[in-house]
Amino acid sequence: MGISKKSVRAWFEVHKWTSLICTLFLLMLCVTGLPLIFYEEINHLSGNEAEAPVMAEGTPKMKVDDVLAKAKAVHPDNVIRYVFWEEEHPNIVTVSMADSIDSPPDVANFVALDERTGEVLKQPKFDEGFMYVMFKLHVDMFAGIPGKLFLGLMGILFVVAIVSGIMLYSPIMRKYNFGMVRTEKSTRLKWLDMHNMLGVVTLSWALVVGATGVINTLSDIVLGLWQVGQLSEMVAPYKNAAPLTGELSDLQGAIEVSKKAAPEMHVSIVAYPGTPFTSQHHYAVFMRGNTPLTARLIKPALIDAKNGSLTDMRDMPWYVNALFISQPLHFGDYGGMPLKILWTIFDIVTIIVLVTGLYLWIARRKAQEAQIARMEEEEEELETVNA
Amino acid sequence: MNTFFHIWKYPILLALLTMFGLLAALIGTGVWHVLSWITLTIPAIVCIRFGMFPKNK
Repeated sequence: MGISKKSVRAWFEVHKWTSLICTLFLLMLCVTGLPLIFYEEINHLSGNEAEAPVMAEGTPKMKVDDVLAKAKAVHPDNVIRYVFWEEEHPNIVTVSMADSIDSPPDVANFVALDERTGEVLKQPKFDEGFMYVMFKLHVDMFAGIPGKLFLGLMGILFVVAIVSGIMLYSPIMRKYNFGMVRTEKSTRLKWLDMHNMLGVVTLSWALVVGATGVINTLSDIVLGLWQVGQLSEMVAPYKNAAPLTGELSDLQGAIEVSKKAAPEMHVSIVAYPGTPFTSQHHYAVFMRGNTPLTARLIKPALIDAKNGSLTDMRDMPWYVNALFISQPLHFGDYGGMPLKILWTIFDIVTIIVLVTGLYLWIARRKAQEAQIARMEEEEEELETVNA
Repeated sequence: MNTFFHIWKYPILLALLTMFGLLAALIGTGVWHVLSWITLTIPAIVCIRFGMFPKNK
């Protein structure tokens, strides 16, 4: 490849500066990300997860509104905002409540119930403990949306660092075989070679996890776009409708209407009227498909919360689907335990690449400059030969 | 040998295996998961092989 000495120098500068700025944050992300790979397992082991008792196959389920009444009895002064069903936990419904419909999103009381008996199984806590600290550090460093977007910026630098690293791999490896690590010359060369080798082997994993991480940091922007775009189009006829008063239509009916409209899909989440994921007048019943891919591409059915009729049901716009597809590719939670273990290995390798990169800069800044100078000379020689 | 090919054949092969593995588990279950685990294990083994038992040239 015809890389001139000038462009080697330029890519080196790009690689150095983008890496330097993002490395400490990326290290934090890789370290906090390690336990997060096993979030479900740790949650399960720490007893924060509801477990439904074994009952005879086909035990009938209660009307969902009757189950929800039992959740309300736990927090009588709260309102329901969201109701969840998880594929991995059949027979369990989880209710998210808050003291008011427009409380901040991170204020929530969760109640998990058995759908067959209405028994309260657990009141899981997601806002305390070790995993919560890891989660918050990883997502926004306890700094809300600005923190999230800042980490997104660090992610963009990480992606640029990887691309510039690829550009430097060619001139460095021109005379060597793949996998070469010079262990006998100097510690610096050994770690330089290790950095290059591990970096090039894991580059597509790091690019995918880095880029999907950046997309995840845009979740609030994506939600905002959806609210002013598709959602407001779907609820336009209700723009001047009087505010909802009195009893809502029953949720069981809303779910049945949604299932009728999409018989091949399952209910995943219901958002209550007045939450950010729907209008003031509708239940949003989010439906998921059956394959790993379509299970991610949830689709909202809007149900009039007064008369229980289906108002509209559409596929999500591309930018919402892009976010949904980015999530599994970032989390590594879509291929069982073996995939999680592979994620752990690649995460640790990335930590090594980051640490060796930092070491190379701190310990031997000058030697590295000299190396680049040598590479430039070699390039020059080559060019003279080629000319 | 062509320099580009010499430098990039293994990195490109590993990148293709990785991309296939990442997408396979997303597209299907069952055999697709197994294919995903196999293809992603290869770059993981390469890291361990050359990281722990370096080749000197």
